[in-house]
Amino acid sequence: MFKNILLCSHGSLGAQKAEEYVFTKLMPGFPGATVSVLTIIDKDWAEMSTDDWLNTSTTRTQFKDYVDEQLGREIAVDWQRMKEAYPLAEKVRYYKVVGGIEETMAELAEKLDCDLIVAGAYYKKPRRLFSTKMTPGLADTLVNKVLHPILPCPLLTVP
Amino acid sequence: MSRVQQNMPVFIMSALLLAYGLIASSGVLLPTMKYLHTHKTMDLQATMCLIIAAIGLFGAIVSSVKKPSDGLFDRFFLQPLGGIIFLLLLAMFIRWYAEPMVKLWSSALAPLLGFKLYKVLNLNYVVLGLLVGVVVTNTIGIPKFAAPGVKCARFVLKMGVIMLGARYSFAELAKLGIYSVWLIGIFVLGTVFLVLWLGKVFKQPKTMTGVLSAGMGVCGVSATVAVAPVVKAKSEEMAYTIGTILSFGIICMFVFPTVGHLAGMNPVQFGAWAGTGILNSAQVAAAALAFNSVDIKTLKVAEIFNITRVLFLPVIVLVLATWFGKETGQKLSFKTVVIDKFPVFILGFLLLFALSSMGLFSPPNHYKGKFIDVSYNERTQITDEEWHSLGSAIADGTLTLLSESQMSAVNDLHDQRQIAGNFDEREDKKLFDKVGRSRMAELEGILAAAKAKQLSLPGELTSIFNHAVKQVHKKSKTVTTLTDVMIWFFAFGLIGLGMQITKKAIFQAGGWPLLIGGIAGLLKATLSFFVVLWLVKDVVLN
Repeated sequence: MFKNILLCSHGSLGAQKAEEYVFTKLMPGFPGATVSVLTIIDKDWAEMSTDDWLNTSTTRTQFKDYVDEQLGREIAVDWQRMKEAYPLAEKVRYYKVVGGIEETMAELAEKLDCDLIVAGAYYKKPRRLFSTKMTPGLADTLVNKVLHPILPCPLLTVP
Repeated sequence: MSRVQQNMPVFIMSALLLAYGLIASSGVLLPTMKYLHTHKTMDLQATMCLIIAAIGLFGAIVSSVKKPSDGLFDRFFLQPLGGIIFLLLLAMFIRWYAEPMVKLWSSALAPLLGFKLYKVLNLNYVVLGLLVGVVVTNTIGIPKFAAPGVKCARFVLKMGVIMLGARYSFAELAKLGIYSVWLIGIFVLGTVFLVLWLGKVFKQPKTMTGVLSAGMGVCGVSATVAVAPVVKAKSEEMAYTIGTILSFGIICMFVFPTVGHLAGMNPVQFGAWAGTGILNSAQVAAAALAFNSVDIKTLKVAEIFNITRVLFLPVIVLVLATWFGKETGQKLSFKTVVIDKFPVFILGFLLLFALSSMGLFSPPNHYKGKFIDVSYNERTQITDEEWHSLGSAIADGTLTLLSESQMSAVNDLHDQRQIAGNFDEREDKKLFDKVGRSRMAELEGILAAAKAKQLSLPGELTSIFNHAVKQVHKKSKTVTTLTDVMIWFFAFGLIGLGMQITKKAIFQAGGWPLLIGGIAGLLKATLSFFVVLWLVKDVVLN
């Protein structure tokens, strides 16, 4: 039934549930389906030098380049984890795209002509202010109110 | 979209400024300005609006007819023009309308609240500007047409610091320099090592403690940005550290000036404390101007501390690179670690300081306080407290022994809050100056009589008259103009920097960086408070 599936993952607990569902249920269930894994690099990383005004533009550029490299390394590690956990993950295409969560998901799904987007459900995390547990990347949450009107195909949220 | 449509925001803003400039110069707004106590800036308001409107219209017309290119004129004038005018509009609105309104509302609410809100939160135009910047970027967002201009804020702020260089003398710089090198040296190194040690105690990775120690120890986000690539920080370590430092800095911006006032700190002490204890350099400038935005003494001290911190940055980067390199075998060049990190604008600051010290801005007739400026200027006014005390003394009849002309000068000082000519005669510069100088002479006469014990004058009033007379003695006309421009540069720059502070960046605060950084930051702020109160005495600043 599904020919083109977009799996949105960034390594969180919710995203890992979605990965498991895609690689153990969906892919074996729809052998002809093409799966693409999307990892979004938050566009707001570009603003993370915030109110720094003392550094030279060279230093700020070095920082931005370093952030790009580091995020690339972290994403590569996450994709490798996926490949090691699920043999089928070797056969899928991987995309890393800079942008906002909702618009990037919708845009890539449209571009790849996907007929299903799979994402993890929202898992309540301990409040950052009161927890020492740290999660990679920038804290952000998918906003259904923004995503739903721009979805080009159905969205499956894996609990 | 046609080019005219693309330039529509600049056309609209310029038209608004033109209309306001014309209305202001016609005098129609005088009653409103008098109500807001901004009427003395009426001419400045009209002139600034008309000049900016003319530049804006010129730029918008050229941009509409000219084919866009990547040339210098496009990059440095046409592209950022919209954002520059947008920030200037905000700065002018805040300075001439928002700040006076906040003051009036705070006074009106004082009987209900029991305190004046603007005094407790130090809501002057600098803090309001920064807040407006933060609110704009987190609500409507930076308008697309303004984005390139808003990026100029960093450059403009650096220009402000360069101009500040003209305000120091050798003696001041030497004295403040000694204080700052000692205090910054001890607190920077102390905090860096404290964070590294706490990281070891809590078994945290060196990549995290490395980036956090620089941010907490040296100059906040700027140091984090400079050090992250050197210590190979992970994404979450950078995000949590930046969020923590930013949140800490914003809280400090409000807390420091209030605590400073409560503790009765003088400008030098507060500047030294803010320059040492506040992590983020932008918030140091904001807190210094929040403590006292009229007199720039506090800013002068705080910026010396800021500059000293920045000069420590390459040293800390070198130390961390060596420390981290030992573990990882990573080799970095001296150029990457030190030369690239050197803040070039400090050379501009030193150049202006050198030129000013050589007397380039002070012709002989202006030098050593001989230049008297009785024109309308916020920085020439007496303080609010002095104004209230003077009003009470006049009402109580404490000054009955004064001559008629002396009493008239005192009454005018109370009416205008500064020594100046008559408001209605401000167009006639010569007459205005003459009347202002005669009033100054009357006040000096009162002080001389009090000194010769011919007149009994309460100490508080002597201090007020002395301050009023001192306020109109300026170092030189050029330096005074540079200072006026500099204040606008800081207001402009801080609104622009406020626009770089997103709530998303603030909400990254948490995790180990918050715990370790919180301990180190609070300890640094508290210890530096007591050390400054204990060690730093008043330095005579011109």
